[in-house]
Amino acid sequence: MAVETEPDEGHVAAVAVRTPAGARRERVLVVALTVALAALVVVPLLSTDQAQSAGLPEVVDRYAFRVATIVAMFVVISAAWNLIGGLAGYPAFGNVVYFGIGAYAVAVLVTRYHWSFAGGLVGAVIVPAAFAGLIGIPLLRLRGHYFAVASLGVAVAVGEVINNLDYFGGASGIFMPIVRSDLLFYYLMLGAALLAVAITWVVLRSRFGYGLIAIREDESAAAVMGVNTTLYKIAAYALSAALTGLAGGIYAQWNVFVNQDVAFNIDVSIDSILMALLGGIGTIWGPVLGAVVLEFLIQTFAGRGDLAVVTQIGLGLLLTVAVIFLPRGVVDFFGGRSSLGLTYVKRTLRESGV
Amino acid sequence: MNWGEQIVLGLLLGGVYVAVGLGFSLVWGVLNIVNLAYGAMVMVGGYLTWLLFVHGGIDPFVGLPIDVVVLFGIGYALQYVVINRVVRAPFLYTFLITFGLDLIIVNALLLVFKPDFRSVTTWYSGAAFAVGPVLVPYIRLWSLLAAWALAAVMWWILNRTRTGDAIQAVGADRDAAQLVGISLRRTYALTFGLGAACAGVAGALIATFQAITPTAGEPYTLQAFVVVILGGLGRVSATVVGGMMFGLVEVLAQSAPHLGAGYQNAIAFGVLVLVLLLRPQGLLGRTL
Amino acid sequence: MTQPDDVLLSLRNVTRHFGGVAALDGVSFDVRRHEILGVIGPNGAGKTTLLNCICGVHRPDGGEIRFDDRSLRGLPAHRVARLGVGRTFQIVKPFASMTVRENAAVGALFGSSDARLPTRGAFAYADEVLALVGLAPKRSLPVASLTVPDRKRLEVARALCTKPRLLLLDEVMAGLNAVEVDEALEMVRAVHASGVTILLIEHVMRVIVGVCQRVVVLHLGRHLAEGRPADVLRDPRVVEAYLGERYARRHGGD
Repeated sequence: MAVETEPDEGHVAAVAVRTPAGARRERVLVVALTVALAALVVVPLLSTDQAQSAGLPEVVDRYAFRVATIVAMFVVISAAWNLIGGLAGYPAFGNVVYFGIGAYAVAVLVTRYHWSFAGGLVGAVIVPAAFAGLIGIPLLRLRGHYFAVASLGVAVAVGEVINNLDYFGGASGIFMPIVRSDLLFYYLMLGAALLAVAITWVVLRSRFGYGLIAIREDESAAAVMGVNTTLYKIAAYALSAALTGLAGGIYAQWNVFVNQDVAFNIDVSIDSILMALLGGIGTIWGPVLGAVVLEFLIQTFAGRGDLAVVTQIGLGLLLTVAVIFLPRGVVDFFGGRSSLGLTYVKRTLRESGV
Repeated sequence: MNWGEQIVLGLLLGGVYVAVGLGFSLVWGVLNIVNLAYGAMVMVGGYLTWLLFVHGGIDPFVGLPIDVVVLFGIGYALQYVVINRVVRAPFLYTFLITFGLDLIIVNALLLVFKPDFRSVTTWYSGAAFAVGPVLVPYIRLWSLLAAWALAAVMWWILNRTRTGDAIQAVGADRDAAQLVGISLRRTYALTFGLGAACAGVAGALIATFQAITPTAGEPYTLQAFVVVILGGLGRVSATVVGGMMFGLVEVLAQSAPHLGAGYQNAIAFGVLVLVLLLRPQGLLGRTL
Repeated sequence: MTQPDDVLLSLRNVTRHFGGVAALDGVSFDVRRHEILGVIGPNGAGKTTLLNCICGVHRPDGGEIRFDDRSLRGLPAHRVARLGVGRTFQIVKPFASMTVRENAAVGALFGSSDARLPTRGAFAYADEVLALVGLAPKRSLPVASLTVPDRKRLEVARALCTKPRLLLLDEVMAGLNAVEVDEALEMVRAVHASGVTILLIEHVMRVIVGVCQRVVVLHLGRHLAEGRPADVLRDPRVVEAYLGERYARRHGGD
């Protein structure tokens, strides 16, 4: 096994050590991502009326915009989950509750208190974070199954309560003033996605990130080394809530309508975890890759009636298969840390199964 | 509000929760798997009962053994082929896999049965007898008795048979059990099958008084979780106590002034929080 | 109650129950600055519980623990670590997905107040400490590839990176063969020479005799005896505790 001569300072290795082949693969990935990012920013501008009247080709149509916006949204949600579930090792299953709180924050602030959308977005970040900070205190004392189900319980309970209260529009939900601009929401979500990735990158390199990973690997050892585990867990949870809330806030205005089904949909939580899983839990690019691939799949096969149901079955199968054969996700492979072959799969089965 | 009636109804409902809790507790206690597909399996039991009733004319209570056998088979197969592959991985993965199974099962039901509500109405569905001022529906009473019978059977299996010994051994110490020759694969599959069978019974009982639809099982997973925590993980008697208590709490809470049927999950979650804060080992559990 | 100057850690009447059993029952002793104090006792004597109570993993049910004249009562584990108490675990607990270097660096990133360094400095310090324990050539490897003695070294290195004034070692020698024990002894002496006070739980008597200035004996959660290793190991009560009453009677306790 090749050993690096001078390892990156502050770069946390996932499992094994990078091989020269893996380092090359990683360089290719970085270049590809940079090109992709440039395209993501520039290409949609070609669809504006100004560009069109100047005779520039329209590379993407409105439908593609919407898909891209949703993909970006899931990048945010998945990356946010990654902070508490992937880095800290506390897999919250109900993070969609912060999506919902952020969505309703925007909806209520704009329609009831006549705030601007921008002001509403500030609320969409702060309110979920505050809520997470508060509820995290008892919640993060739980471990394993208890934590996962309790966090799920928070999501269904809050959704139910909001559905029953007139202040939030009850079951009929809240209608927002219409803002017609696919471009605006695309760039907003893209910005949020970039922010989420950037935050993950910064955290992984910081003392905070090391503390979280230490907590994940062995919480009592971390405590004894001086990591303030309670504070760090709550901080990670609040941060993931803030990001998820931002996505929810943007979505609320984009969708123009919020109610319990729209805002507190558990499938959003599960999908985002599946995305992180497929891409690679605890890595920077895992949630991005997973979100892009999975959401494209979902949008491609989305339909009405029976097709929607079959898509869900497909998703369930994908989830099952991914958990069995690919628990560490695909990014593992890109970092050269393992090779996605039969041996890898066999070893995974042997380690995890009975 | 008629207190007596509420309490009786609560106890009767408790029977359902006992059945719901038994399977969940077994799988969690022995396999350390929190089965997110549990509610879906309950619905499978419900639909099976409905099918037998509507197309075979079989009374729901008479059809219970069929429910048990079919659901046991499904559970056994699922564990043996699918879930066994991840039992030793971190719990996140069993969580996710059972959620995947939940998606598959619920949507398969949607595909086959469509989202329409179905009900099982027997000739005695509305009949009740009076105990003082309280009207006790026969169906609810028989459900309660069936649930207790199930609890008794489960207790007997777990404590008086060799199979039960194997299951408990595996639950207590997986490696030691293997060393004495117990097949983990088969015992796990057996355990999950038993859990599924309990879910099937719960579904059958539910179908007798509630209209079913593929997604109606969802709250039962969270409720099963709460029942087990409320009573205490690991013993049949604890689940019986937890189930009965939860039935009481649910009925009483729903008749409170501002709450109602729309707060099922919130109530369950509220109970969960209270228990975890005040007595995390459950009413009958041993101190952690 | 203030401590005399030469005492770094003092325990008075420390008690801790688990269920109905008293794992620790009124234990009292002092650890003097710059000494190496051994703690021995048959299995179940409460030694690990003792360490857990000192470093804040468990809260004692009764009694008082003072470190450098500060009470440790009610302090969470990370605060105790920041005050300067480092600790290794009997069954080593490395951070599995990190490299050796990163494991040690966690100690430097979070340890005692004067130790907490920014990331670059933490890694540099970790490198120094790894060199001290002899792990420098393996510092970029994942912990999964380490041998048992190396894992123990990493455990010690990581604790050292927190710049402790008191280091609690929990059966560092367990599972090592004779040669490895000698190497580990060297490491312990080197650590001690760098100015760290050491409290050492051990079963391997060679280690106790070889490196400890004083020894405390625990039995069934109680303080049984205390003194120089040679004296304590000859004490009939100690022999009896380890080998049982009949042996002691048969061999006249000498």
